[in-house]
Formats: sequence, C-alpha cells, structure tokens
Amino acid sequence: MYLVAHVDTSICSETACKLCTQFCPETNTILYDNDKKTAFVAVDRCKACEICVSICDTMAKHHAIKMIMITELENPFEMNKAGFNPAKWKELPETVVLEKVAK
Amino acid sequence: MSMDNLKISPALEKYMTKEYRDLVERGPYGKQKKVSEMGTFKEIIEEHPMCAGCAMTLFIRLTMIGLPNPEHTILVGTAGCGRLALSQTSIPFIYGNYGDTNAVASGLKRGLEMRFPEQPKDVVVMAGDGGLADIGFSTVLHSWFRKEKFTTIMLDNEVYGNTGGQESGMTERGAILKMAPKGKKYEKMDMLGLAKTANVPYIVRMTVTNPTRVASVVRKAVLIAREIGPTFIQAYTSCNIEYAIPTPKVIDDAKSLEAERYGFQEFISDEAKAFLESIEPKKAKATKSTED
Repeated sequence: MYLVAHVDTSICSETACKLCTQFCPETNTILYDNDKKTAFVAVDRCKACEICVSICDTMAKHHAIKMIMITELENPFEMNKAGFNPAKWKELPETVVLEKVAK
Repeated sequence: MSMDNLKISPALEKYMTKEYRDLVERGPYGKQKKVSEMGTFKEIIEEHPMCAGCAMTLFIRLTMIGLPNPEHTILVGTAGCGRLALSQTSIPFIYGNYGDTNAVASGLKRGLEMRFPEQPKDVVVMAGDGGLADIGFSTVLHSWFRKEKFTTIMLDNEVYGNTGGQESGMTERGAILKMAPKGKKYEKMDMLGLAKTANVPYIVRMTVTNPTRVASVVRKAVLIAREIGPTFIQAYTSCNIEYAIPTPKVIDDAKSLEAERYGFQEFISDEAKAFLESIEPKKAKATKSTED
C-alpha cells in the first residue's frame, strides 16, 4: 500500500497554470490533457515526493492535488498499460476516488 | 544520431516497444518544445531509478527540454547520481571514467566536426560537483583554456551523494555531513571565478526554481558552444537524502538558497551575445547581461 498524487480534475480544469507538470521531477508522470484542460497523474510512475502538492498549494494556490492511497483509486491511469497516446486518452475509463468506508 | 536513425523500419515496427514507438511519433525530435508544453509530449527520458523528489532529476528533465537538437546531441557523464537518469535517455550517453569527462568530450567534439562538417553536433557534459570540480578538475580547466566547443553542466549537490555523503570541493564551509562529522574546514570552490579566468564566453549559476529559465539557459549554452567556445552552467540541485530535506520542501529549499547565496548569475561575452542576436534577433534582446 502506498500513496500517489491525485489531481482533482474539477478544480484543475478551471485553471490553466500547468505548474505541476513543470515541477514534477519524474518524466511523463503528471500529464496534461489538452481536451479536458486538466492535469492527471500516471500512478505507476509517481514516486510520491509531494513536490506537486506543495507547488499546487503554495505557488499556484489551487489546492487541487492530494496524496491518496493507491487502493482508493478506481481505474487509475497507468503509463505502462495505456502508453503515451493523447488521442486515445478519451477512450479510457474515468478515474474514480472510492468513498472511504464509513466508520 | 540523426532523424534517420530514430525512425523504425516498417518491417520491425511490431517488435519495437510501446515506449519507443511513442517517442518517435510523439517525441520532441525535430521541433523545439517549450516548458509550458510539458506533459503533452513524450519526453526523452524514460523511467529511472533516481530518488523521489530529487532536484537533480528535475534539472536533468528540464535540460532535455532545453536541448535545441536532441537528435544531434551526445551526452558525456561520469559516476554520480546524474548518470542514473542520463543513461535512460534516448540520446547517446558516454559513461566516461571518473575525471576524464571533458577530455572525452574534447576528442568527441573534434571528431564529430571532422566527420559531419555540414551538421552541427552538440556535445554536452553533465556530471556532478565531484566529477567536475574534484576528480575531473584538470580536464575541465584544460578544456576551457583550449576553447573546446562544448557545454559543461555541473549538477552541484554539494556532496558525494552516491557514496554516503563525503564532502566535495563544492560543499559549503562548515557543512556537517555523514562523512564530514566535524563540518567542512575549507571554502566552497569558486568555479564561476575559474571559468571567468579561463575566459569562458557563457557562464551561468542557477537553481531549479524557474523551469522556463533552466530550459532557455541550456538552449543558449548549447547554441553558443556550437560557434563561440566552451560554456558552463553550475546548477544547484540539492541532495534531499544527504542534507535531510523533506521532499515537499525541495523547491522551497532551492528558493531560500537562491535568495541566500546561490542567486541567478549570467555572464555572457560580447561575441556570444552578438552571435545569439544574429540567430534569434527577438529573443536575445530579453537576455540581460549581468557582466560588470
């Protein structure tokens, strides 16, 4: 079980700052979808350094990125499976954050 | 390497990996990509084993965006952290012996000039502070005095991060490290001053706090190295392991150090400036020289 960065697409799509894509140390990990106008994370490449979280919170002030347990994500984007092909990103199932089981 | 070498032979296409096919179809070759386009194209570097949140990784990633012609570039490196990412690029990477990076690059550049007189080939040395300022010190300085036409990029993490935290010549005085428990006794080496003494036409000191600036500085350094002479970039790329910086604070650390003692400095000779203006009339105007 480990944490990965997760972009809240509803917040991100309202801005166009793209700062997280520029400050992420890993290549092709925070990707940008030009159609949906939002950043999103390739979870198999994320090393959970949280630089994007601090950039989004302090520099961009959008608070759109959170660290989240990998098991709480349904249909996360994986670069190994999907490959880098923006034209086919539309066909992929949408990533859903599973609701935590109520205590 | 050139564009022809990159293309996949149609008969072999189905055997190539997905990553390579993506790179040829949606990679940065043949067109200069901007930092603002990051995340929308396949980058030259693949997955690599560098630590999470490493500023050096970020700097190397931005350097690859800044290269004007990645398909005509050869990287030279040596032992150190940087090689872990540099060896995962789809650019020829020469892993020199410790200390001989700039000697290898000198010979390589001269050979390439003879072999490809029509096509400019860029040689870029990327190594750590230990590889360039300590062990490779003599070859670095000699390549500058000989006016060899290639770019030297120092990934200055101020420590031997790969071997357990020994002090290097570039470590700040008084810094306490695992293998320097009493603190370093000597001053940080003034590589910028040495570069100025050697009349290097383009010298830059910078951090990773401004991605666009990193890419544009690398681009300028490589272009100047084609025509004018050696260029040198000294970049602060903190080691979050040896200096115990929490990874979310890596950029904040770079910012505070930038304010304190690692501010952006750019020295450009008149000749180099005139050359930049001749190839990019608009852009060169924005370049502010901080030369005294």
